[in-house]
Amino acid sequence: MGIDRVEMSDAELVRRVRAGDTGAYGALVARYRDRLGRYAVHMVGDREDAEEALQDAFVRAYRSLARCDDPERFGAWLYGILVNRCRTVGARASRRRKLFVHEPESTAGGSTGADVVDRLEWDDAVNRALARLAPEHREAFLLKHVEDLEYERIAQLTGAGISALKMRVKRAREQLQRFLREAEHV
Amino acid sequence: MTRSLAAAVGVITSLVLFASSVAAQDLRYERLDPDTRARVSAVIDSARTVGLPTEPLIQRALEGVLKGAGSDRIVAAVRRLAVDLGVARSALGSGTSSAELEAGVAALRAGATPTVLAHLRERRHQSLTVALAVLADLAARGVPVDSAAAAVLVLAPIARDADLVEFRRAVERDIALGAPPAAATSVRLDATARAAAPGRP
Amino acid sequence: MFEHAEDELIERVIRQLRKPVAIDEGLDARVMREIAAAARPARQRPALVRRWPLLAAAAAVAGLVIAQPWSHGSGVRSDSYQFVLLAPQAASVALVGDFNDWDPARSPMRAAHSGLWATIVPLAPGRYHYAFLVNGVEWRRDPAAPAALDDDFGAPSSVVTVGGS
Repeated sequence: MGIDRVEMSDAELVRRVRAGDTGAYGALVARYRDRLGRYAVHMVGDREDAEEALQDAFVRAYRSLARCDDPERFGAWLYGILVNRCRTVGARASRRRKLFVHEPESTAGGSTGADVVDRLEWDDAVNRALARLAPEHREAFLLKHVEDLEYERIAQLTGAGISALKMRVKRAREQLQRFLREAEHV
Repeated sequence: MTRSLAAAVGVITSLVLFASSVAAQDLRYERLDPDTRARVSAVIDSARTVGLPTEPLIQRALEGVLKGAGSDRIVAAVRRLAVDLGVARSALGSGTSSAELEAGVAALRAGATPTVLAHLRERRHQSLTVALAVLADLAARGVPVDSAAAAVLVLAPIARDADLVEFRRAVERDIALGAPPAAATSVRLDATARAAAPGRP
Repeated sequence: MFEHAEDELIERVIRQLRKPVAIDEGLDARVMREIAAAARPARQRPALVRRWPLLAAAAAVAGLVIAQPWSHGSGVRSDSYQFVLLAPQAASVALVGDFNDWDPARSPMRAAHSGLWATIVPLAPGRYHYAFLVNGVEWRRDPAAPAALDDDFGAPSSVVTVGGS
């Protein structure tokens, strides 16, 4: 009786939600929000749109939870929904000016003003370079190198073939280097 | 400044003001009737201006709405909480987290003095949320607040959060079995302090 | 194969992009509200929850880019907590509290056999007032938790404190 802290796997939480414990879905959202949010923010480029895509993905996942075949792999299934949401939202966002992602600088660590400026400039340069990639190249690069997924998995999420994906990643790497060299001041 | 530039500045300023007033419109406010909403917003805006956390204030208002309280009662509760958060912050220091402040309010309302809170801050170099909560919860179970405060201050430099929670549970069990609250506190304090002394594995 | 210097540059980019990104912690509540709203009959349903739709419209009209405030996103771990109430005669039990905006639709509890109602809620560190609402009308404190001392509204509440920072 009372309150107990519980360690629940994704599969158990999914089972509970399916059995009617809607509140338990909140635990899944809390678990995956930041991890998936990172992909959305870098893919979409605009924070507000990224959070909208993320919110959409969570809501759609809840509504189609009956179709999650393997609750043990809820996270991976959710990823697929998010990748699609980002494509839809991204297409809309590209028609508007974008705001770039800036993370708040921590005040710990005693950085000098110059350090902070350098970090912000690098941060900015990376974001701009990423934004200049074609969406399918950016998507493949992020899923492979930032989210660390295997090509087989990326193929399932995106519907593209593995060799096409490898080409896209290669292209993304080449272009990022070119854009970043162009942006260098020294 | 030329007229068109002044006009442009005017447009930008009003858009920024519009943006911030829209930003302040949390959709949860719609659960309050318009009069309550206006009065509660005023309290929350003042609190925000002095850097106090606003989430506890909103939650207090929402609790009042669900419990069917009248407007005056809801506004009074929100105001009282805002004031108490301010007192807690004066006692605990400006870097105090929202969770610590809320627990600090609970301790103050249980009868602990701001001095006790300040001493706790000096003696415990980690989050005070659990320590303050244990103080308040013991008082809620009937332990005289001075005994509860003294016990928590003794344990503050040496006990982990988990030890403090276990201490509280042990005292509550003893009280439930018929022990006088102050005596239960003192007995369990000795046991906990010995177990938590530095040097134990 | 890439030149070493070029690989290094890409590695720097990857390190940068792998850094944690702060997501507005309000997103959890927006998701749960949207889900709860869909569960209600249509005429009671509030407008779907979106952040700052008017702001976006204003910005589009003005053609201005208005800077976003920092979202200091949680980065804080939420652990899952199970709340349980024995109420064999109840037709419905909702858990309401500071962690779900006192909204009965957000954490409806699930009845097991033997009259035990339960639900799971993620809680970040903090101190939360809460109560059980039985059959939509009766307020019950949690018998196994400390009572909320400050009863502002004449109906019983309990308190739960989650440690951590």
